[in-house]
Amino acid sequence: MSSQSCVEVHTEWGIVSARQAGRNKAKEIGFGNVDQARITTAISELARNIYLYAEKGEICIGEVSEMGGAGVKKGLQITAKDVGPGIDNIREVMADGFTTSGGLGAGLPGVKRLMDHFDIESTSGEGTTITAIKWLR
Amino acid sequence: MRVPILKLHNYLLISVQVELDDQTALQFQEDLLSKIHKEGSTGVVIDLTSVEMIDSFIAKVLGEVVEMSNLMGAKVVLTGIQPAVAITLIDMGIKLEEVPTALDLEQGLEKLQQELEG
Amino acid sequence: MEPSIIDFIYKRKQLLVEKWLEEVESVTQDSAITRIPEDIYSETNREFIDVIVNTLHVSPEEAKERLRSFVERLIHIGWPLSYFTRGLQAFRRVILEEMKENTQAEQAFSTFGEVENWIDGIVNQLVDEYTGSWENTLNLQKLALKELSAPLIPVFSHISVMPLIGTIDTERAKLIMENLLEGIIEHRSQVVLIDITGVPVVDTMVAHHIIQAAEAVRLVGAECILVGIRPEIAQTIVNLGIDLGKFPTKSTLRKGIESGLEVTNKKIVEIE
Repeated sequence: MSSQSCVEVHTEWGIVSARQAGRNKAKEIGFGNVDQARITTAISELARNIYLYAEKGEICIGEVSEMGGAGVKKGLQITAKDVGPGIDNIREVMADGFTTSGGLGAGLPGVKRLMDHFDIESTSGEGTTITAIKWLR
Repeated sequence: MRVPILKLHNYLLISVQVELDDQTALQFQEDLLSKIHKEGSTGVVIDLTSVEMIDSFIAKVLGEVVEMSNLMGAKVVLTGIQPAVAITLIDMGIKLEEVPTALDLEQGLEKLQQELEG
Repeated sequence: MEPSIIDFIYKRKQLLVEKWLEEVESVTQDSAITRIPEDIYSETNREFIDVIVNTLHVSPEEAKERLRSFVERLIHIGWPLSYFTRGLQAFRRVILEEMKENTQAEQAFSTFGEVENWIDGIVNQLVDEYTGSWENTLNLQKLALKELSAPLIPVFSHISVMPLIGTIDTERAKLIMENLLEGIIEHRSQVVLIDITGVPVVDTMVAHHIIQAAEAVRLVGAECILVGIRPEIAQTIVNLGIDLGKFPTKSTLRKGIESGLEVTNKKIVEIE
């Protein structure tokens, strides 16, 4: 990863600055209007999860590249890391409509659909790390 | 930060010009409901033309605002949802099915008029 | 490469070329090549072998460049890649055969290695050139497909039509959705008719894309009518259990326009 910037999330304002950082990076990489909205929304969901369930964590945003069939492709990677309680029931939280906060239950499965790559690692009592990538079309 | 609410005859007009963080959204919900109560408004248009992002939380607050306003006797129309925002919402599986929409403020007002008269 | 080997090849150039031409005759059996006229074929053979042998006495960059311009021309006229790979295999056989007879055993190994490297280098470059050109063509075709993808046509004020033609995959569906929504804003359309007369197959995937588009259309504040539903499409939709019940459908564009006019409080009247 060439450059990466991180935003700490422990207040609601952290959510706002994380998504602003995400939008700027997405613009810089050259994402279109719609993908910018997808990326910002995904960051918002991830940041809110940290704020709601872990109270403290950080969102890191950086550019990634990968060799593919048609040459090098560029992308934006979001890493959301927290030291919260962890998620015991990953399968459940990835199901549409599952919620413990009274929300729409669209959060994590929504992020997965908004992005091209989604990876979640969680250890009970230690914390959760979520990595998501959107590739430039 | 507060979202200004304008009164026009029996209607309330809101143009959301600020980035909606959670607190602002909840504050807006409260402000709108008390304004409806105070003015006895029958219709509300919330214009979202300048909103660049709606995540699941904001969507939930908006959906609830509509439902609550309906309970208080005011019809709500959301207008000006940007294509990028609409696509993102659909990707997330958020359809806001119960919420009436219109292209812009003008068509929103027309829609309100039709629904209230017809 | 060792000067002695270059020398070896150069001294026998004539002989090698003759032997190779003989050998390469067997390649002619390939169906793609039999369609090429005899005289052009043998002319190209001579040119090809010249280019290969000549790569030995110029700088590597120069050699690459010459090979590239030669190959580029042949790619352009649709010459098959198999001709080159087989031709080079034949050339390698010819050289090694010749060397076996004229080299001492202790030298043979290193010499063979050098020749192999040389030929492999050429093969690699050829394959790269060909793949590059294929990818290029593929990208151009993708772009061309994108361009004719999905225009939104305003027909009356507040009524637009989007005719969909051809297979809809995920990437195209995304593009269609963006065009559709941007177009609605631009033309201030209240009603959009999505015409699927030209879509050959509507499976669950395609239906899913269309439903999502219709929902997004509703969010930006317009209404969507699906038109052009042929009998077999109606059958598959029902047989697959796809629920299109939430938004209106019409069999033809004409009926769709009629109901679009109704929604926007308009009517077409005949002038007496």
